[in-house]
Amino acid sequence: MTVEEAAETPEALEREVARARRRGIVRFFGRLAAHRSFRVGFALFFLIVLTAVFADLIAPYEPNKNNYRSLLAPPSMKHWFGTDGYGRDILSRVIHGTRISLGIGISVVVMTGVFGVFLGMLAGYVRWLDNLLMRVMDGLMAFPGVLLAIALAAALGPSALNAVIALTVTFTPRTARIVRSSVLVIRALPYVEAAVAVGAGHGRIIFRYILVNALSPLIVQLTFVFAVSILAEAILSFLGVGPPPPAPSLGNIIAEGRTYLQEAGWIAFFPGIAIAAAVLGLNLMGDGLRDVTDPQLRQGREAG
Amino acid sequence: MAKTSSLKRAGYLCTGLVAAALMGLAAAPVQAQTAGGDLVVVQSSNPPSLDAMVTSSQASRNITMNIYEPLFGFSEDIRPIPILAESVEISEDGTSYRIPLREGVKFHNGDEMTAEDVKASLERYQEHGATQSMLEPIASIEVTGPLEVTLTLKEPTPTFLEAFASPRAPAVIIPEEEAAKAPNEISFIGTGPYKFVEYVPDSHVKLERFDEYSADTDHEGIDGFGGKKTAYLDTVTFRVIPEPGAAVAALETGEVHLLEQLPVPTARRLASNDDIEIYENMPWAFMTFIFNMKEAPSDNPKFREAVQIALNNEEIMAIATEGLFNLYHGWMYEGSTYDAGDVGKEYYNVADTERAKALLEEAGYNNEEFSILTDSTIPEHGKAGVVIGEQLKAIGINAVINQVDWPTALKIRLQDEGWNGWTLMMGIEPYLGPAALISALTGEAAHFRDSDEELDALYQELISTDSEEGRKAVFEKIQKRMYEFFGIIKVGETGLMQASRANVEGFKPFRFPRVYDVWLEQN
Repeated sequence: MTVEEAAETPEALEREVARARRRGIVRFFGRLAAHRSFRVGFALFFLIVLTAVFADLIAPYEPNKNNYRSLLAPPSMKHWFGTDGYGRDILSRVIHGTRISLGIGISVVVMTGVFGVFLGMLAGYVRWLDNLLMRVMDGLMAFPGVLLAIALAAALGPSALNAVIALTVTFTPRTARIVRSSVLVIRALPYVEAAVAVGAGHGRIIFRYILVNALSPLIVQLTFVFAVSILAEAILSFLGVGPPPPAPSLGNIIAEGRTYLQEAGWIAFFPGIAIAAAVLGLNLMGDGLRDVTDPQLRQGREAG
Repeated sequence: MAKTSSLKRAGYLCTGLVAAALMGLAAAPVQAQTAGGDLVVVQSSNPPSLDAMVTSSQASRNITMNIYEPLFGFSEDIRPIPILAESVEISEDGTSYRIPLREGVKFHNGDEMTAEDVKASLERYQEHGATQSMLEPIASIEVTGPLEVTLTLKEPTPTFLEAFASPRAPAVIIPEEEAAKAPNEISFIGTGPYKFVEYVPDSHVKLERFDEYSADTDHEGIDGFGGKKTAYLDTVTFRVIPEPGAAVAALETGEVHLLEQLPVPTARRLASNDDIEIYENMPWAFMTFIFNMKEAPSDNPKFREAVQIALNNEEIMAIATEGLFNLYHGWMYEGSTYDAGDVGKEYYNVADTERAKALLEEAGYNNEEFSILTDSTIPEHGKAGVVIGEQLKAIGINAVINQVDWPTALKIRLQDEGWNGWTLMMGIEPYLGPAALISALTGEAAHFRDSDEELDALYQELISTDSEEGRKAVFEKIQKRMYEFFGIIKVGETGLMQASRANVEGFKPFRFPRVYDVWLEQN
């Protein structure tokens, strides 16, 4: 049965549309699951999420427990990742560090998503606001990203919340820009014009017709924001403007290890690996999402 | 009637003995000193100023003490000796100090030093000096000859000369015309063996040998801040490298010659390196934890006692100093002149959680935030702060760490609010003796914001007591008082690791890197 045939009654049409959407979703996840780098990225990331969630159960020691009898101990059976200058177990600190990093990453993604969508939508939909908003965003984007975050975090003072605020301010303009460009394209499409023609209200047009269709580039962008904010959080902590010590954020651990790169390289090495794994996982996932959601790339792939 | 101070003659005798001892030892051929070259010394922070008298910063002192000289300074064994002064004659009543000056001492601008320069410099110090209180006993400074000044004191002050010789913010002598200028506006002209060339902030300070330097020929060699100084090097570059790892790498590659400080584990690793010489400067400083006595909960002496009892000093020191430390409860170094013995020992390094908890209860502590002010610039501070924080959390104190950079910490600790405890290494004060140490803890600007009346009274007694025996007795009472009101906790004593390239000859660790009487062995 084709859509045309079913269109005899509005109810039948709606049922058919819902079925098509479900099929689309199933196909979307099927494609994702078949995408090799997405699978690898997802596995890596999932592992890190599990580590973060169950940190209290997995970590063999208290992350902030000092032990002056085993300072700078190399990796051993007792301390798999060695200890730092306080005698703290690096493995336990890295495990708890992933929790802090992911926590900050997720907070930044959510806040960037909310503000980015709001501003992008406003700029793309309310034409007279476009110039004003986008020039402000351009102004923010004129600063190199991480530098702006460092400046903001330094001005606000060292804390996890301030790191989230600084990173959100830094990443929102890019997100808003992407949302806006999608909105500009979508709002000119015939189905939106049709919606306007049948008298749909602004709310319905924005949420039902535009936002839903602008989601896929946004999701891809947000995975990258996630990755970059984990990296940026490490940079901020490393510079002493992230969560204050003794919080075991990955950047803090690396900062504490940098004086001992030659004597106790393990302090900086393992959290470095953790950051790399998280960022790699997210980037691979982002790549996969992009490939699967971008029809042009998909056609190329399926044809080849 | 005037009695001549025995200061000078004692100096002669001492150096004579040392020289004789050295000659006896040095039967083997001694490496000949070679002139020339550029010595690169590394320190971690910028000197805030090169106007020596207006700053008490170690980063400044490291450099300025090679450029300028004071009238009096400390010898190697911490007694005041004349440097630009020839000697001193103290009147019978102890209020008049007649100070003849050394002849033919030249400033870096070529002018000869006169009594006018000395008077102008001391008057500038009274106005702008960073530790003005040391000249406070002076009623008048008079020029009593072309090469002689006389200081008249308001009242006899037996500790005056010791205070006057303090290198903390040294009362250096500069030309009269420079002395008329405001702080930090002078040209950096002194009388020392090296003269100032340039200062590029965040990069380096460059000094050059002063060829017309007039050495103090009353000595055989260098002695503390004074003695007979000889500049062998053509130039000396003090480089600022904040990152210890980068500084160590530069030393290992031979790009720099001398590290003013390096991390202890790194020093241990480098000990087996033939190209590098390690120096252990121990004891160097007190690690202290200072309370804000104006801000709750640390305004309560019972609460402070609880903290004192709770602390495991060994753990704090082992972690903060990376193993280079000494545990001693005394407020003067063990075995030094003013060491007060066992007074207060029962409160030191107790780490008794139960007793501490009971004291907290007695203090009526109600989970108020206890903010620990510390900094990351000086790693020992930051680490001590973190460990103290963990220990206090363990007895139920709501400890929060506020780690900022060093200049910010110095700003915050001058406020009555916003902090409860502050980690501070005191290097120069315990070195200078009881008066210098206790003066930082008394009066209007006491470290604990509020002052302790009893301690203030004891300080006055200390500086007005004539005999050393008398002062010792007073210091014992001071130490007892320190362990009664708990305004400050002595955590322990730290050392300082220094390192040089093996071709740096003649370097002797001291309170600042002396770059005179140091030469580079030519291969």
